[in-house]
Amino acid sequence: MHRLIEFIKRIYVLVVFLLLEVAALWSYATSSSYTEAKILSRTTAIGGTISGTITDIGHFFSLPEKNRRLTARIAELSEELDSREAYILASGIDSTAMVMYDDSEQHFRYHPARVVSMTTNRKRNNIVLDRGAVDGISPDMGVITPDNELVGYVVSCSEHYAVVMPVLNIDFSTGGRIVENDHVCVIRWPGASRYEVEAVELSIYSEPKSGMEVEVRSERLPSGITVGTIEEYVLNNAKSAYSATIRIAANMATLDNVLIVENLHYGEIEELMRQVDNE
Amino acid sequence: MFKNTSYFWLALALIVVEIFILDQLSIAMWLRPMIFPLIIILLPMEWRTIWVLMVALVVGIVMDMSLGGAGLYTATLLPLAVVRSSVMYLTTRRGVEPGDQTPLLSRIAMRQMMIFVGAMLLIHHALFFSLEAMSVALLWQLVATIVMSTLLSLVIAWPIVRLFISKIVR
Repeated sequence: MHRLIEFIKRIYVLVVFLLLEVAALWSYATSSSYTEAKILSRTTAIGGTISGTITDIGHFFSLPEKNRRLTARIAELSEELDSREAYILASGIDSTAMVMYDDSEQHFRYHPARVVSMTTNRKRNNIVLDRGAVDGISPDMGVITPDNELVGYVVSCSEHYAVVMPVLNIDFSTGGRIVENDHVCVIRWPGASRYEVEAVELSIYSEPKSGMEVEVRSERLPSGITVGTIEEYVLNNAKSAYSATIRIAANMATLDNVLIVENLHYGEIEELMRQVDNE
Repeated sequence: MFKNTSYFWLALALIVVEIFILDQLSIAMWLRPMIFPLIIILLPMEWRTIWVLMVALVVGIVMDMSLGGAGLYTATLLPLAVVRSSVMYLTTRRGVEPGDQTPLLSRIAMRQMMIFVGAMLLIHHALFFSLEAMSVALLWQLVATIVMSTLLSLVIAWPIVRLFISKIVR
């Protein structure tokens, strides 16, 4: 107790000074919109730097987990490669099999990217990725997590950065299908919960059930990309279609590493669609 | 008692000069002298820091209320109260000793006194103009304002310092 009193005696001038100084600075900082804006910009810059450092540290400590997932992915790909090789061997030097696995038949190319910034609390959220036009990124490419979960698609890009419209954007819309019965739907975000999207225009014959998995069905992405699982479903008033609430598979709040998916045939599909529209 | 009254009149005179004369001057954007920090600089070095801090608080509030500083004057005057002894030691290598019989300010040579006052004014002006600008976009203009205003403040303040030390402190 005696030591504590001594300590307080030693530092009380400094404490009083700091309290008075903070009060004076606060009074000055909030006295006009100019000072408020200046202080805000400074604190944002400082906050951004600190946040960036913390993210980097967090990224460093999450490396073991990422390594584990990468290893699992490598194992998965190796298995796939083995099975394809086995298929080729089994069919001898079959020209059909060779064509099937020819590089020219590869439709999708994957570009790894990292999230630079993102929002999840607005009606029109965006994600900025650290890959841009110089890396071969262009609008309309799909974006997924390394676990094959839907994130969104690229809407614009500069030389070094790309802006993604995530599923958590009220302007977002893509096709989907229920994995169990192949019934298609439209996926969109009503702007309510950041954990849920909705599937609309589900056929009355689709018989949706809770827990059913919904995948993306879009020319931007390959099959097997998960949107999420059905939580609730209702029949519309006209009893002509179901709409379902889907729990998003990707954890949008902790996105870090993503894959940008390029459909090498997208230009061809787009041209074809344009021709159909013009006819 | 006489000395304390003298300090009060000095403070009042400096505040009046600052508000009604120096603050009304518009010589140039980068030439804005301020001599009211002398109130803190010339307080007896023997005073405890907490009392100097309280004086700085009162003077700062008066200046803020008179000139619409909204805390700017207080925020830039308070640090002077805290760093005063350290600046005195750094510029003159002198400090208050327990057995001193005469005030420290009266024992300092005029050249050293000028360096001390100049350093204190420079610190105040640097804090004031930096906080006022809140930007380094026009860095050279800011530096010029700090340096030129400090020099002009010192030129104006020096006769007051000499007079006060010779007539009151000694």
